[in-house]
Amino acid sequence: MANMIVASSNAKPLTPPTTFQQHSPKPRLQIPQLSFPNKITQKLSSSSVAATAATTLKSLSLLAVSSLTFAPPSLAADIEKAALFDFDLTLPIIAAEFLLLMFALDKVYFSPLGNFMDQRDADIKEKLNSVKDTSSEVKQLEDQAAAIMRAARAEISAALTQMKKETQVEVEKILAEGRKKVEAELQEALADVEKQKEATIRALDSQIAALSQDIVKKVLPVKQ
Amino acid sequence: MNVISCSSNTLKGLYDISGVEVGQHFYWQIGGLQVHAQVLITSWVVIAILLGSALIAVRNPQTIPTAGQNFFEYVLEFIRDVSKTQIGEEYGPWVPFIGTMFLFIFVSNWSGALLPWKIIQLPHGELAAPTNDINTTVALALLTSVAYFYAGLSKKGLGYFSKYIQPTPILLPINILEDFTKPLSLSFRLFGNILADELVVVVLVSLVPLVVPIPVMFLGLFTSGIQALIFATLAAAYIGESMEGHH
Repeated sequence: MANMIVASSNAKPLTPPTTFQQHSPKPRLQIPQLSFPNKITQKLSSSSVAATAATTLKSLSLLAVSSLTFAPPSLAADIEKAALFDFDLTLPIIAAEFLLLMFALDKVYFSPLGNFMDQRDADIKEKLNSVKDTSSEVKQLEDQAAAIMRAARAEISAALTQMKKETQVEVEKILAEGRKKVEAELQEALADVEKQKEATIRALDSQIAALSQDIVKKVLPVKQ
Repeated sequence: MNVISCSSNTLKGLYDISGVEVGQHFYWQIGGLQVHAQVLITSWVVIAILLGSALIAVRNPQTIPTAGQNFFEYVLEFIRDVSKTQIGEEYGPWVPFIGTMFLFIFVSNWSGALLPWKIIQLPHGELAAPTNDINTTVALALLTSVAYFYAGLSKKGLGYFSKYIQPTPILLPINILEDFTKPLSLSFRLFGNILADELVVVVLVSLVPLVVPIPVMFLGLFTSGIQALIFATLAAAYIGESMEGHH
C-alpha cells in the first residue's frame, strides 16, 4: 500500500517536496519526504541508530511512523515532528491530574458511596437480627394470649360453679319447702286419721258394751 | 499504473476524512517545556465526565438506589472485588487508587472510540484517547510503581527490600529487573493496544468507509475495557504482592 502511494506520488507529485522543520534545538534526523524508497529510509534510520544514543528513540519512532502510516503526500508535508515516544512535560502533568482525580473521586464517589453502602449493609443486617428477635416477642404475645384465655376460662368456670351453687340452693330451698308442706300435710292427715281412729275406738267401746250385754243375754238364758 | 493513480486520488479523499496521524502532537509551550495539548484536553474531558457523572449519581444516595446510583454502586462493588481479590483483606485504602486507575483508563479508552473527537480540528495533530499517548501510560505505570513501593515500605519498613534476595540471593538481579519491567510492560501494553486499536479502525475506515469497520470498532471497545481491567488488576496485584508476607 505504501509503495503504491509512493509510486503514485512520484508520478504525480501532489505537494512540493519539503524538508522537515525542527522545533527543538536537539540534533535530529532529517527525513526530507516520504517519497523516498523504503530501503533508503531504512538505511538512513539504521545509520542514525548507530549515530547517537540521544536520537535513537526519535529516529526509531520516525522509522516506525514512516513504515506504519499510509500517510499520503499531502499529510506527509505536515509531518514536521512525528514522535511516538515523545516524553515531555505531559507525563508529570498527567500524573498530577491522576492524583487530583483520585482525591476528587475519593471525596465525591468512593468514600461517600462506599460508606453509604456499608451503612446500608449494617442496617439490613441489624433489621434481619431484629426480625429474629421478634420471634421471642411473638412467643411473649402468645403466652399473654394463653394467660388471657386461661383467666377467661377460670372466670367462666367460677361463674358456672357459682350459678350452679345458687341454683342448687334455690332448688334445695324449694325442695325443703315442698318437703315441709308435704310433711305438714302428712302430719295433718295422720292427726286426722288418729282422731278418726280415736272416735271410732270410742264409738266401738260403747258398741262393745252393748254387744257384750247382747252376747251375755243370748248366752245366759240357755244356761238358766 | 492507471488504476493506481486513480485509486491514489480516491484514497487521498479517504485519507482526508480518516486522517491517519501517528506520533503527531499539538504542542503547547509551558515555561520552555513542551506539552502534548491534545492529550491534556482529552484528559480534562475524561476527568470532567468522571467527576460530573459521579457527582450527579452519588449526590443524594438513596437506600433503594436509583438507576444512576445503582450503576455506580455496581462499579464500586466491582472495583472493591478486584482490589480484594488482588490485595487481600487490607484492600480498603487502595480502593481509590485502583478505582481511579480503572475508571480513568476505561473512560479514556472508550472516549477514543465513542466521542467524536475528530469534529474538533486542531492546528496540528488530532484529539484521541489520552491513553494512546505514551506519556499518559508511562505516568500511570510510574504511579503504580510508586504505589507498590509505598505499600511495601509502609507495611514492612525497610524489611521490604529483603524480598529482593528471596528465595535466594542469586535472583537479586532478576528481582531488581522486575521493578523496571513492571512499569515498562504496563505502560507499553496499554499504549500499544489502544494505539493499535485506533490505527486499525482508522485504516479500515480509510479502506472501506462503511459497515466493515463496525465489528473492529466493537472489538476495539472490548479490548479497551479489557485493557483497563488488566491495568487495574495488575496494579492491584503488584500492590498486593509487595504487601503480602513472604516466607
